[in-house]
Amino acid sequence: MEEAGDLEISGVGSNSTINDDGGCAWTDWSPVIDWGPLSADDDFRGLVEAMMCDDNDDVAHAGVTRMAYDPYWNSNPSSTTTSTGTPPAEEPSSSDGGGGGNDDKGLRLVHLLVAAAEALAGPYKSRELARVILVRLKELVSPAGGAAGCGGGTSMERLAAYFTNALQGLLDGSSATACSRQSASHLDGQVGDVLAAFQLLQDMSPYEKFGHFTANQAILEAVARYRRVHIVDYDIAEGVQWASLMQALVSRKDGPPPPHLRITAVTQRGSGTRAVQETGRRLAAFAASLGQPFSFGQCRLEADERFRPAGVKVVKGETVVLNCVLQPPHAAGAATTRGAGSVASFLSGAATLGARVVAVVEEEGVAEDGNFVGRFMGELHRYSAVWDSLEAGFPMQGRARGLVERLILGPRIAGAVRRAYRATGEGGWGEWMARMGFGRVGISCFNHCQARLLLGLFSDGYQVEEDGPNKLVLGWKSRRLTSASIWSPPPPAPASVPPANIGVSSSMEDSDFLLD
Amino acid sequence: MFPSKKPTMNSHERPMSCVQGDSGLVLTTDPKPRLRWTVELHDRFVDAVTQLGGPDKATPKTIMRVMGVKGLTLYHLKSHLQKFRLGKQPHKELNDHSVKDASALEMQRNGASSSGIMSRTMNENVHITEAIRMQMEVQRRLHEQLEVQKHLQMRIEAQGKYMQTILEKACQTLAGEGMASGSYKALGNQGVVDMAAMKDMGSQMSYPSLQDLQLYGGDQLDMQQQMDRPLDGFFPTNEGICLGKKRTHPYSSNGKSPLIWVDDFRLQELGSAAACMGTQEEPSKSDQLQLAPSVIDSGMDMDSMTDVYETKPVLSTDSMGEKKYEGSSKLERPSPQRATLPVERINPMIRGGALPQTRNISYG
Repeated sequence: MEEAGDLEISGVGSNSTINDDGGCAWTDWSPVIDWGPLSADDDFRGLVEAMMCDDNDDVAHAGVTRMAYDPYWNSNPSSTTTSTGTPPAEEPSSSDGGGGGNDDKGLRLVHLLVAAAEALAGPYKSRELARVILVRLKELVSPAGGAAGCGGGTSMERLAAYFTNALQGLLDGSSATACSRQSASHLDGQVGDVLAAFQLLQDMSPYEKFGHFTANQAILEAVARYRRVHIVDYDIAEGVQWASLMQALVSRKDGPPPPHLRITAVTQRGSGTRAVQETGRRLAAFAASLGQPFSFGQCRLEADERFRPAGVKVVKGETVVLNCVLQPPHAAGAATTRGAGSVASFLSGAATLGARVVAVVEEEGVAEDGNFVGRFMGELHRYSAVWDSLEAGFPMQGRARGLVERLILGPRIAGAVRRAYRATGEGGWGEWMARMGFGRVGISCFNHCQARLLLGLFSDGYQVEEDGPNKLVLGWKSRRLTSASIWSPPPPAPASVPPANIGVSSSMEDSDFLLD
Repeated sequence: MFPSKKPTMNSHERPMSCVQGDSGLVLTTDPKPRLRWTVELHDRFVDAVTQLGGPDKATPKTIMRVMGVKGLTLYHLKSHLQKFRLGKQPHKELNDHSVKDASALEMQRNGASSSGIMSRTMNENVHITEAIRMQMEVQRRLHEQLEVQKHLQMRIEAQGKYMQTILEKACQTLAGEGMASGSYKALGNQGVVDMAAMKDMGSQMSYPSLQDLQLYGGDQLDMQQQMDRPLDGFFPTNEGICLGKKRTHPYSSNGKSPLIWVDDFRLQELGSAAACMGTQEEPSKSDQLQLAPSVIDSGMDMDSMTDVYETKPVLSTDSMGEKKYEGSSKLERPSPQRATLPVERINPMIRGGALPQTRNISYG
């Protein structure tokens, strides 16, 4: 890419320590990257971190303490060997010298990605520049098999490939391209594949289970004495969360028979209704197999995606619970992501419905920056952590991982990048709920213990910690990834207020939590 | 351009220049205002925390209120509380442990006075009682943990069963035949996989069900190859899980430790990797070879693998059928003892396909 070297950027001089072998000085590119602290870690995420972090190590705050990178597993994530001495031959066309060149290559990829993001949305607004960078990126990642899945290329390369595709999607303009590409791969009736990949992901990592189990346990504790339970689920997906809840309800040793469980799934108008009905049938069948009294219903969102509490049928004597799992959808069902206004209207409905408890599972570490590049870096961090976590547990270049990456994580990355591009940067829902007057419901010891045990089944790098009395955060090696928090609705208030308009800062008393 | 990811103390505090505040706080004159946690201040802190019910229940805000110390900010308390919590981690149940220590110190300072001796004796009794209470607490926690573990196991299983129903239906929809999808059953039965079951299921696998799993990489794989690789679908998952766990799997029904399975599954990983081989070039081949380091005799070079592969069964056991024997002197090297089981597994692959491009290692 010699022409790239000719373009001039009013950049700072770089004190890079990177050896550039390709002949084009990419190190002169990005004016904002501080090349000083870069070191050749074995940890891919470490590379990203090293680029970005100021050292704040002496400050411990209530959240996560940033730990030094321990090159875990003693494995270079870019290599696929286990304990043999045979060097990997998976970079046939790479311009690196193999071995030690992997780190450099990883760094280069990251820098290219960031440069491309900057070009796309930065002050230079140069789309041509972005195009050029993406071409170069594709050269670097695709010969090794990159996004084509099936285990070609190194871990870093694959991750970079997905991000490259995501950026390319942005460049190509509308979401139409991305969606059509996505649906093309789906239309072959590969829904089953996606589900299987999803199952694989669940087996390999605790992300989904953590959210579900924590929410379920909190719900169990909240409805312990009631005979009828009604759960309004914002995004039922395949209904996986409720299987374990039903099992827990049925096996309560207290004596009283399991309460009648009713689940209302909030659906969008039109699309996916059949899928939700199918889910309902499945849940009913499962409940029947357990002997759990069960019924299922749907509640449609309005045309503007807002939730209307009146649309939910509430039976006298039942206790209502709101469940809001906001994880990025695996590509199977919800291709549409509902906007923040929709979620806000749902959460606000808690008061109207008289819900006993509201369980929220959301992604953590959502960058609150005002600009795209910051959010893009945040997503890069996040997915590199996810990548690392999968790599740590499953270092083999198995097909399973390729599958998961291609069918689940790849689309998620594309979606995340798209959202980062469009969104104006909102914080997590927790803060919003606190401002809106939601009370915090404490996480019990049981729940916390359960989360710890669950993580114990997976790699050592997973950590769970409390963030306040009502929130558990799951992270990979000090990178917060997902969180589950429990709330009680505020006293009924007039109409839902969209998050952007919050000027009221209601004082959040710490004593407002109920503990078991 | 690159935002720091967490708030720093510095950005929120005004630099203080006084050395001693009204309340006896000792602040340094550093440009970064740091609070020195003196013993007295720490004692007050611990008192406040105990009053509030322990480090887990106390929050910086409430501690601040209770302590009533001027000049103490939430940020001081946040970090101190966190350190406190971490420091107490191994002794979580002993809430009053540090308080006890402080009082013990006081006792010693009283020296040999009679009142000192009296109070020391009383304190010892208190210590003993405390020790007993600690022990009971520990036991209680252990018991709790067992309960949680039991429930967790059931919940994971339930979730696995449910996933299985989803996958079954999906399978049926896809292939249009009511197949048993045994593979998914095994995946689903214990959400976290029971490896003994996996191994048993392996040989009875009905490969049409795995067809689906292999369709995923479909654009790269040759269908014919997939047919002959009935075991493929599983093993990435199995092996992964088996490698990911460092202790004996709580759900495995036999007592085998995960390590024993690794070799076998690595072999089968080779099988699945071989399926990928169809359209890939050298890189994956080297992948395969590296995947089973215990398998490959390092003396072998890669080119000879095909020969060895096909002729191995003849050497290993007599029960193996005659394969086309290509005669090679390299055959003496591999040790036949380990060959039996894995070779049985892989033989179907050999026979089924006789695919020229496969380069599986046949011994384990």
